[in-house]
Amino acid sequence: MRINLFSILAFISFLISATVFFIVLQNRKSNLHNQWLRFIFAAAFWEFSAFQIGISQTGDRALFWWKIAHVGIIFLAIFLFHVVYEFCGLKKKRILFFIYAQGFFFLFFNFFTNFFLSGTRYVFSSFYYGTLGPFYHPFMIIWLLIVFYSHIELFMSYEKFQGVRRTQLKYFIASNLVGFSGGLTNFLPAYGIDIFPFYGCFSTALYCAIFTYAILKHRIMDIRLAITRTGIFILVYSFVLGIPFAMAFGLQKYLTAFFGPTWWIVPLITSTLLGTAGPFIYFFIQRKAEDTLLRDQKRYQTTLKQASAGMTRIKDLKKLLNMIVYILARTVNITHAFLYLYDAKSRDYALEATRGERASKESYYLNKKSSLISYLERVRAPIVFEEIRQQSQDYDSDELKDVQNELIMLGAAVAVPIFTEKRLLAIGILGKKKSGAMYTQDDLIVFSILANQVALAIENAQFYEESKQTQEQLFQAEKMATIGTMADGLSHQINNRLHTLGFIAGDALDTIKLSKEVQNPDKFQEILAEISKALVKIQDNVRQGGEIVQGLLRYTRKGEEGFGDVVLDKLVDEVIEMAQFKIKKEYVSIVKDYAQDQPLIRGNFTQLQEVLFNIIDNAYDAIMQKKSEMGDDHFMGKIKISTRQTEKFLEVSLLDNGMGVKDEDQIKLFTPFFTTKFFNKKGTGLGLYVIKKIVEDNHQGEVFISSEYKVGTLFVIRLPMGKQ
Amino acid sequence: MSKLLIVDDEADIREFAKHFFQKRGIDVVIASGGQEALDLIALSNPDLTLLDVRMGDMTGVDVLKKLRDAGNQSKVIMVTGVEDPVIVKQIQELGVCGYVHKPLALDELEHVVMKELKELKG
Repeated sequence: MRINLFSILAFISFLISATVFFIVLQNRKSNLHNQWLRFIFAAAFWEFSAFQIGISQTGDRALFWWKIAHVGIIFLAIFLFHVVYEFCGLKKKRILFFIYAQGFFFLFFNFFTNFFLSGTRYVFSSFYYGTLGPFYHPFMIIWLLIVFYSHIELFMSYEKFQGVRRTQLKYFIASNLVGFSGGLTNFLPAYGIDIFPFYGCFSTALYCAIFTYAILKHRIMDIRLAITRTGIFILVYSFVLGIPFAMAFGLQKYLTAFFGPTWWIVPLITSTLLGTAGPFIYFFIQRKAEDTLLRDQKRYQTTLKQASAGMTRIKDLKKLLNMIVYILARTVNITHAFLYLYDAKSRDYALEATRGERASKESYYLNKKSSLISYLERVRAPIVFEEIRQQSQDYDSDELKDVQNELIMLGAAVAVPIFTEKRLLAIGILGKKKSGAMYTQDDLIVFSILANQVALAIENAQFYEESKQTQEQLFQAEKMATIGTMADGLSHQINNRLHTLGFIAGDALDTIKLSKEVQNPDKFQEILAEISKALVKIQDNVRQGGEIVQGLLRYTRKGEEGFGDVVLDKLVDEVIEMAQFKIKKEYVSIVKDYAQDQPLIRGNFTQLQEVLFNIIDNAYDAIMQKKSEMGDDHFMGKIKISTRQTEKFLEVSLLDNGMGVKDEDQIKLFTPFFTTKFFNKKGTGLGLYVIKKIVEDNHQGEVFISSEYKVGTLFVIRLPMGKQ
Repeated sequence: MSKLLIVDDEADIREFAKHFFQKRGIDVVIASGGQEALDLIALSNPDLTLLDVRMGDMTGVDVLKKLRDAGNQSKVIMVTGVEDPVIVKQIQELGVCGYVHKPLALDELEHVVMKELKELKG
């Protein structure tokens, strides 16, 4: 056995091809994979035979292995065509038949005659190369024609393919270039051109590896990127390894002259330095190259990342969803973007925001039990339509076919699931890129990151919306409680009106009854005057009753009338009127200690009414509590309303001389459901909380309270001023 | 001539009720609040008092209580509105010859008042 460069290279190639062969064997799913497997087998067969040729010690033995090797060589072309046949879905059975037939024809001559291979000659001072008989030349021509024809078919299919298939095709063509350009160099010595087939030994194995990557991996790297990366790698490392080698071999004389016998230190140090710097240089150049190659992609990926960071600040859900689809459609430049959000009521995913092309009616809802949703819940990562289509063909899976059909209905190129922990919260549907470019692995990584941010932002907005609703309910509950405290006084007022009306009407009727026999015109005029007076009184009372009802309605309706300019005095009057349903004038006096012409307040009348009513109501309760605890019948309660004007605010102070609040309770006053009202059992504990919410959140005002136990309480509210 | 005192803080009630009963030959005096009523009862000793429960300064119940406390057992008809049963019970315990519920028509009130006044005469 002789070991030489040819045999070593062939053996390494064989090992690579064998490994690739087993990888494909484990993962094959389609006929294409099967055909490709046969091609790799042929390649491995040739490489193994080449190894045997390399180690052959005699010309006869080498010739034997050359004949064996030609089985691989003949079938490389045949199987290449068969792979192309499958890949492009050709329907040319006759050509296929012819190609196989010629193979067997030449195989016969190869094994049984000397017309194909005539003998061997010793080449490169290391091994035996085959010499050619007359039949070899037609074989060579046909072999080249088959390879050439296969490429024509591939190129012709380029337009037909899209998406992953197209990228695979690019890889196929690239690997063909690598494989056959190298492979052909193996023929050169046979034709008497003695160039060592250094590269040729490797190329077939490399070929097998590249296309295997392309057909087995669902998400293939952009080939420009792959080539650039490989190119840069080779370039950088040829320098890193090449410079010290060149030093060692080319500059040895000079170095010895300078450094003596330890000259080798110089290339050693150089290689150490370059070896250390190598990876950094590699990554630096790679990053620069990719920045240039993928400039557009990088740009929108950066935009998306930046946008996602700001999303959590948006509190309005609808606005947020619209912004998400807007950013997606705009920056990635796609035909359309849809966003589906889980709807707890219908238990489906409802289309909440769209951008670009309109959604069809059928796609307004996505059923939670649909294949697409189940699939997304399982894979938990963005899915690409092209891949799903590819997989559903390869696996022949019904589920994937359903997923594929749903994606078609949505016009989706990519579907991005948006998870919060285990729950699929929303789904983003992205249309095709307008440029026609494929979604890359990097895109999908960015979408995954974006999905996490979006999930956070949506949850945030939903939480905010829910808490806003809860707060509104709370407001309404407190209002109802207030109405409860008012109900007694209100019904008394309304009842009194009715009672009065009854009296007036009764008296008028009585007057009419008694005056039937009256003849005296003067007396008659008198009666008419009496009756018209009664009617006027009836009108007055009806008006009063109406005002009571209106007042109540104004108060109970949700504060929807919005913001406007509020006249303080009018507000106070309304509140005092409301309070009078409850407050007994003989116990408490309300004093308006301010001038009539106060600046206007910018605010919501109903809400402010509630604020003032609550404060006065509390003051009244505090006064009654003090009265009852002191046991003093003559104690007179007082609530004083005064104002002060600051630069921006109108400050309204309400001071009472009621019970006040103990120091330890003061801090808890604004806490919801905290109440100190033992006297008045109906304290909900929401009053001050609601006051604070209304003044601070809704009006951007301020509330202060200061209280001294058994002395009284001072409430100060600062409200923004309106246009004066 | 019978004397009727009407106590109510509603001016319209006082005015029209007074007018109504005057037409029936009854001497009507009116009071707009509790204290005024007590003063008038002491001064003019009416045969019957129509006493409203809820008024500005003092409740009808308070007036009645003060009256009874002072040993005055004169006839009182209570005019109740939306009061608690507790108050109604309290009124009964203090002794009234009747009570009417607001709102009510004048002729109904006339019936009750006339019955009481007739009883007094009889």
